[in-house]
Amino acid sequence: MIIPLSIAVLVTGGVYLLLQRGMVRIIFGLALISHAANLMLLLAGVSAWRGEPLPDRVDPALATDPLPHAFVLTAIVIAFAVTVLMLALAVIGHNDDTKRMPATGEERAT
Amino acid sequence: MTLVWTLVVCVLAVLASFPLTRVLGRNAGWPLAVIYLAAVGAFWPAATAVMGGEVVTWSRPWVAELGLDLSLRADGIGLVFVMIALVIGAVVLAYSTAYLKPGRNLTFYLYLAVFTVSMVGLVLADDLILLFLCWELTSLASFLLIARSGFSGEGASMRTLLITFLGGLTLLAAVGIMVAATGTTGLQEAMAHPVWDERPGLTTGVAVLVLLSAFTKSAQFPFHVWLPDAMAAATPVSAYLHAAAVVKAGIFLLLRFSPLFHDVPAWNVALVTVGLFTCALGGWFALRKTDLKKLMAYSTVSQLGLIVAAIGVGTEYAITAAVLHVIAHALFKSGLFMMVGVVDHATGTRDVRRLPELRRAMPLAFWTTVLGCASMAGVPPLLGFVSKESILTGLLETPGPAWTGWAAFVGAVLASVLTFSYSAKIVFHGFVDGRGQDRWPEDAPLHATPPAMGIFAALPILAGVPLALVVGVLDVPLDRALAAARPDVEPETHLALWHGVNVELVASMLIIAAGVAVILARRRLLPALEPRTPGPDGAAVIEALTAPVARAGMQLALLVRADSPTRHVAPVVVLLALVLGGGSLGLLLTGRVADQHPGLDRWSDGVALVVILLGVAGVCISQSRLAAVVSLSAVGIGITVQIFALGGPDVGLTQLLVEALTVLMIMLVLQKLPLRFGRSPRWGQRTALALAVSAGAAAGLGAFVLTGRRERSEIAEYYLTQGPEITHGYNVVNTILVEFRALDTLGELTVLGMAGAAMVAVLSTVRDRYLDPPPASDRSFVEDPQIPLRGPGTAAERAVHEAWGNAVPMQLLVRVTAPLLVLISFILFWRGHNSPGGGFIAALVGSAIVALFYLASARDQQVGPARAPMILIGSGVALAILTGLGGLVVEGSFLAPVSRDVGWTYLTSALLFDLGVYAAVLGLVMEAFNLLGATGGREGTRERADESVEGELSGPMDATRGETPRELADRALALAAAHAAGVPDGPDPRGKGRVGRGTTYLAHGVRPGNLGDGRDR
Repeated sequence: MIIPLSIAVLVTGGVYLLLQRGMVRIIFGLALISHAANLMLLLAGVSAWRGEPLPDRVDPALATDPLPHAFVLTAIVIAFAVTVLMLALAVIGHNDDTKRMPATGEERAT
Repeated sequence: MTLVWTLVVCVLAVLASFPLTRVLGRNAGWPLAVIYLAAVGAFWPAATAVMGGEVVTWSRPWVAELGLDLSLRADGIGLVFVMIALVIGAVVLAYSTAYLKPGRNLTFYLYLAVFTVSMVGLVLADDLILLFLCWELTSLASFLLIARSGFSGEGASMRTLLITFLGGLTLLAAVGIMVAATGTTGLQEAMAHPVWDERPGLTTGVAVLVLLSAFTKSAQFPFHVWLPDAMAAATPVSAYLHAAAVVKAGIFLLLRFSPLFHDVPAWNVALVTVGLFTCALGGWFALRKTDLKKLMAYSTVSQLGLIVAAIGVGTEYAITAAVLHVIAHALFKSGLFMMVGVVDHATGTRDVRRLPELRRAMPLAFWTTVLGCASMAGVPPLLGFVSKESILTGLLETPGPAWTGWAAFVGAVLASVLTFSYSAKIVFHGFVDGRGQDRWPEDAPLHATPPAMGIFAALPILAGVPLALVVGVLDVPLDRALAAARPDVEPETHLALWHGVNVELVASMLIIAAGVAVILARRRLLPALEPRTPGPDGAAVIEALTAPVARAGMQLALLVRADSPTRHVAPVVVLLALVLGGGSLGLLLTGRVADQHPGLDRWSDGVALVVILLGVAGVCISQSRLAAVVSLSAVGIGITVQIFALGGPDVGLTQLLVEALTVLMIMLVLQKLPLRFGRSPRWGQRTALALAVSAGAAAGLGAFVLTGRRERSEIAEYYLTQGPEITHGYNVVNTILVEFRALDTLGELTVLGMAGAAMVAVLSTVRDRYLDPPPASDRSFVEDPQIPLRGPGTAAERAVHEAWGNAVPMQLLVRVTAPLLVLISFILFWRGHNSPGGGFIAALVGSAIVALFYLASARDQQVGPARAPMILIGSGVALAILTGLGGLVVEGSFLAPVSRDVGWTYLTSALLFDLGVYAAVLGLVMEAFNLLGATGGREGTRERADESVEGELSGPMDATRGETPRELADRALALAAAHAAGVPDGPDPRGKGRVGRGTTYLAHGVRPGNLGDGRDR
C-alpha cells in the first residue's frame, strides 16, 4: 500500500514537469517517471519477500524475486543514458526556457 | 544451380559497384558490363537446356514454417527476358561510361545493378511471393533511378512510385487470392490448380488484378502517364529501364499468366482494347512532341500497347508475335534512346525546333537512327517489319465474332500509320530538316561524340539488322517462350521475311504509303500538330487527384498540430488515466482481484515515501534550478532506500551511483543555463496539475490493484534454487544479467553505446557558433553572473578567477582516491558473480574516477585521450558480441557462457561479457563529461565532438558532418579568395560561417594541425 503511494507521487510530479516548458524540467520529469516505472517493476516481484537474492547467505525461501531486480538494474542504466543524451540536446544553444527554437546551423538549399 | 549463379553474379555487380566506382569513377561501367556478361555466361547452361526443350528449376526451403520455397525456374519466357535484361544492360553500362559526367556516379551504377538483380529475379521466380517481392524491387529501383536525377526527378519519381505501387498493390491482392484459393505459393502449381476452372468468377477477378498490375508497369492507358514523366531520368536509365527492362516487366507478367488467363474473355477484351487504344494514343502524343526523348517515351507507350493487344488475343501465333516484338522493340528502342543521348550530347538540346541539320555533321548517327526508326516503323527488311506483320496477323485471330478480328486489325493499322509518322519525324526533324538551323549560332560547334557512346548506342540497332535476315534462328527460342505461355498447344513457329502476298503485306504497304505521304507533307503537317502551349499532362492529372487528399491530410494534421507540449502529452495521459485507473477501479469494485498477500509493507517504505514526497514537491515547486537538482537527488536517495528495503543490493548500489553521476551531469549543463526556470504560461499550470494528479492517481491505483496479489513466481524459484548450480555464481541478479538474459543486457549496452554515439553525431552536425552562440547574435543569451569583487591582487579575486588554487585540494584528493577507486572497481567487478557487484556497478565506480579527474582539473580540458570514449564504447559492444559468438561456436547458442574450472577458481566467459558492459558504460560517462563539460572558450563542445571521431584537433572544424562536397568546395574557394586578397582566415563573405582550417581539412584531407599554428582561435 505504501509503495503504490510512492509511485502515485512520482508519476504526479513527473507528468507535471513533463508538461512544463524547458528541456531541463522535462528531463527531470522523465527521471521521476522512470523511478516510478522501476518501482512498479519491483512490485511485480511481490514485496512480501524481501531477502537478498544471494542463496549462499540468505534462505532462498525468503529471498525476493531476482528477475524484476535484473530488469530494473538494466532500466536504471538505460534511463541514465537517455538522461545524458537529452541533457546534451538541452545544451545546444542558450535557448532553454525560451520561445525560440534552437538554430541547427543547417541552411536551406538554394 | 546455374540459375542461382546467375543471380549471385548479378548481386556481385551490386556489391562491386561500391569499390569500382570509387576507383574508376564513371568508367566503372566497363567492369560492370563484364560482370553482366559473366552473368550471361552463368546463365548459358540453363539457356541451352531451355533451348533444348527442358525446363530448369531450382528450389530450396525459404520459410519452412509457412511452407515457402525459394524457387527459380527458367523457361522460354524467362530466357528471353533474362537475355534482354543482361545483354541490353551490359550495352547500356558501356554506353554510360561515356555519357555520364566524370565522377563517381555511385548511385547510378548501384541502383542499376540493384534493378538488374530484381528484374532477373522477377523473370526467374517460380514462387508467387518471390515474384511479388522482385516486382516491388523493380519499382523501387526504377524510382531511385529517376529520383537521383536531381530536382526535375523529384516530382516525376514520386508520380512513378505512386502508379507502380498501385500496381504492386493489385499484384499483392492477386497473389494473395491465388495463394488463398490454391493453397500453394508455387507459381506453376497455382496456375495448374483446378480451382480456376471451377470458379470462373474468381478467375476473372484475379485476371483483372494481374492485368491492372501489368498496365501500371507497362504504361498502358490510363497509367501511361508515368513513362513520359520518367524521362527526367538520365538517358542510359531510359534506354535500359524505359525501353528494355522495367516496362517489359508488365509484358512479362502478362505472358507469365497467359497459360491461366488466355481464354478468360475479360482478359482478351481488356488487353486488346486497352492495348490498341494505348497504341493509338501513344502514337498521337508522340507525333505532337518536340522533345525527342518525350517522343521516344510516348512511342514506347504506343509499342507496348501493340504488344499488350497481341498478348490479349492469346492465340499461339499472336503470342509468338508479341514475344518477337518484345525482342525487336528492346533492340531498336534502347538504341534509339541512346541515339537521342548522342544528339543531346552533341548539340545540348533534344528539341527538334532548336536542332540544326545534323545529317552531314553526324552521318553515322544519322544512318543508325534511320535504321532504328525504319525498324520501328515496320519497313522491310528489318526485324520490326517481321514482328509488326506477325502482330497484325495475330490480331486477325482476336477471339469473338469475326468483325472483332478485323476491327483490331484496322485499329492496329491506323496506329501503325502514326508509328510511321513519328518515326519519320525523328529522322527528318531530328537530322534532315534542321528546323533550328536559322537560330543556331554560327560559331557553336557540335560536341564530338566519344567513340564508346556512339558505338554502344548503335550496337542494339545494328544487331537487329542481320537478325531480320536470318529471323529463322529465333524460331526455337520463340517456340520455347510460346510453350511457356501456352503449354497446351504444339509450337511450330516459322518466321520469315517473305510470306507471299497476303492481307498483312497489303496493310504494310498501305501503312508505308501513308507514311511517305506524311513525310512529303511533313514541313507543314507536323509543326501544325505541335501544341503551342503545353496542355495539361499526366502530371497535372495526378496532381489534381492527389492534391485534395494532401489538403485533407493537412486539415487533419491541424487538429493535432501544436507547439505546446501539453496538447501532445495530454491525450496520452488522459487515456492512461482512463484505461489504467478506470480499469483498476473497476476490477477492485467488482471484486475480481485476489486478496492482497499479507506482509507487503514495512515501516522503511514509509520513510522512503516521505523522502520521495518532499523531493518531488521540491522539484516541482522550486524556481531555482539548483534547488530542483538537489530535490531531484533527494528523490533518488529515497528510491535507493526503497530498493535496498526491497532486498536489492545490486540495484540499490547501481541506483546510488547513477544518481550521483546524474547529478554531476546536470550540474555540468546547469553552468550554461540561467539560474532560475522561466515562468510557465499561467493557463497551463492548472491543466498540467489536473493531468498530473489524474495520471498519478491512476498509476498508484494500478500498482495497488495489480500487484502483490499472488505467490512468488515459478521463475523466481527456478533462478534461486537452480541458478547457482547452473552458473556457479551465487549473485542471482548478476547471473541473470550476464548469463540467463544476456541478450537483454547486450541490447542495453548497445543502447548505452548508441546514446554516446548519438551525442557525438548531433553535436558535431551543429555549427560551433550555433552550439555556443556568442552574446551579440543570440537574444536569449544569459550573461555570467557578475559578482562584485575586490580589486585585482586580493585573495577574493584570485579565488574566483584563478581556478588553479581552487583545484589543488581536489587534485591531492584524486591522488589518493583514484588508486583506491580503481581497486574497489576491480574488486566489485571480480566478485560480481557471487556477491553484489558486477560490470555495471564496477563501471559506475570507474566513472567516478573520470568525474574526479574532471572536477580536479584547473583547465578546461577533456578527460582521457581524444578518441577514448568512442573506442571504449565500440570495443565494449564488440567484446560483448564476440563473447556471444564464442558461445555460439563452443556451446551452440549465442551468448551462452563458456565456463571452465581451472582449479583455484571457476572462469567463465560471462566475465568477458561483463567487461564489455564495463567498457561501454565507462565510455558513455567519459563522453558525457567531455561533451557536457566543455565550457566553450578555446575548446568548445563542437571540438570535443569532432575529436571523438577525428582524434586530436587544434581547433573546431568549420565544416559540419553531413555537408555536401559542393558546399565544402564553395567554402574552400572562398578561403582561397580570402587568402589571395591578403585577408587571413576571416569571415566567409557570404556569412555562411567561418572559413578556416577545418574546411581545408575536409576539402583536401589535410589535418588542421599540419597547417601551421593553430593558436589564433
